[in-house]
Amino acid sequence: MQLGFLVDLHLCMGCKGCEIACKVENEVPLSTWRLRVKYVDVGTFPETKRTFTPLRCNHCENAPCERICPVSALHYLDNGIVNVDKERCIGCAGCVMACPYGAIYIDPETQTADKCTYCAHRIASSMMPACVVACPVGANIFGDLDDPKSNISHYIQDNRDVQVRKPEKGTNPHHFYVGASQVNLNPLASRREEGYNLFNKITTLPLGGHHE
Amino acid sequence: MIHETLAATNAVVTLDVPLPDIFWGWFVTMNMWAKSIGTGLIFMLFLLLRKNAKEMDGLRTSATIISFIFMIIFLLFTLADLHQPFRMWHIFFYPHWTSAITVGAWMASLFVGIEFVMIAIMLRKEKCILTKDSTGTFDKLLFWNTLLAIPVTLYTAGLMAESTARELWQMPTESAQMILAATLTGSAAIILLGGSKLSDETKQFFGAILGLSALMAFIIYMSEYIFGGMKSEETAAILAYVKDGGEYATMFWIGQWVAYILPMVLVALSRVSKSNSILTLAAILAIAGLWVVKHVWLVIPQLLPMS
Repeated sequence: MQLGFLVDLHLCMGCKGCEIACKVENEVPLSTWRLRVKYVDVGTFPETKRTFTPLRCNHCENAPCERICPVSALHYLDNGIVNVDKERCIGCAGCVMACPYGAIYIDPETQTADKCTYCAHRIASSMMPACVVACPVGANIFGDLDDPKSNISHYIQDNRDVQVRKPEKGTNPHHFYVGASQVNLNPLASRREEGYNLFNKITTLPLGGHHE
Repeated sequence: MIHETLAATNAVVTLDVPLPDIFWGWFVTMNMWAKSIGTGLIFMLFLLLRKNAKEMDGLRTSATIISFIFMIIFLLFTLADLHQPFRMWHIFFYPHWTSAITVGAWMASLFVGIEFVMIAIMLRKEKCILTKDSTGTFDKLLFWNTLLAIPVTLYTAGLMAESTARELWQMPTESAQMILAATLTGSAAIILLGGSKLSDETKQFFGAILGLSALMAFIIYMSEYIFGGMKSEETAAILAYVKDGGEYATMFWIGQWVAYILPMVLVALSRVSKSNSILTLAAILAIAGLWVVKHVWLVIPQLLPMS
């Protein structure tokens, strides 16, 4: 079994329901996110549109976080999930430096690494991840990539524009996007300007603590 | 990218909260800097043993103690940088050998352990009479610790290479820079420690190592500065932080001048004028400047948003 995710960006409307469901399900502390939705505005007024991209751990086949972790706190499960053992983690932040997707953070409460686990605890109880359940339009497709009859496999077969983030990193992500463009997947394809955000001067807790 | 430059596309992020903070800050800079001095001194001590063993007499104990102190600083800052420092023992009981951190922690611990034995041998014998046997044992251990100093120096380069997200840190370059940092600070430290115990000829020998290390490291940094961004968009975006108007441009050039350019000039001047004080100044600048150089290179890739 190889579990994977696919997000159909044609369907996503940026409601952030998945983000909230994830926060609640996994008790993600303030200022940190296992899953978040990025908004990018494209075009020049009045010809503009807004794009939405849910971002979470890509559960890579060749995961840099697993490789760099000195104590195997980040490890593969048999179903392909890259899981994190918070009791084992020493908080070296090597995984934070290794993840090309910025998907790992140091939990300010436990001072250990944390990230999306595809809701591994729910999967173990034969339930879908919280974000999948919460999505009102079914944009999050989750399933077994090894099963050609699974919904996610059908989706990949039926769509030509299936993409992953940063394929050049050689991580072989198990997280796919349909209907994505460069502005969705490449952080360098859009500008970041103070004053253009929906919420400016966002307050964040000092996650790195004394490391500034 | 075309998307942010064309009016038709003109992409602007309007809502994103990329994970903030520099996770590896000055604690890690201290780690790299102190380790360079610690292992560099061992490299230089071994070179001195091969070049002129007679001049080792006054330096075996003092140079090893200074190296040991810097290795302890390195280990303390490594420990302090952990968010869960009391779980450090996990590295020894749950080692994951694909991680450069694990390999480095084991190698460095062994290195420091051998250094401790070397110091103990010398201090114990100094209380009695310094015999050929004690220096012989010390010199044998020095050989093995010099070999061990190579992976201890290089593991950080491996760690930076394993940091897949940070495009700036490439393995062949970083390993060369780590070794050069060790030879630069090691030669500088032994010049400072040597005082009257080293002959002028030996000092000039270490001065040459210092100057050449500075030259090589400077060439590599300039190569990356000029050409690094030509093949990788991500590297170009990172290097913008040290180019004109970049947030770390001033600090980058202060580091390059203090660690490399000035010491190179001063080493050359000291050879012409046969002045030890100029060489001493070059050594101090090289040690101080390397901290700045390492810090800038550590921080700038962390400023780039990953999403």
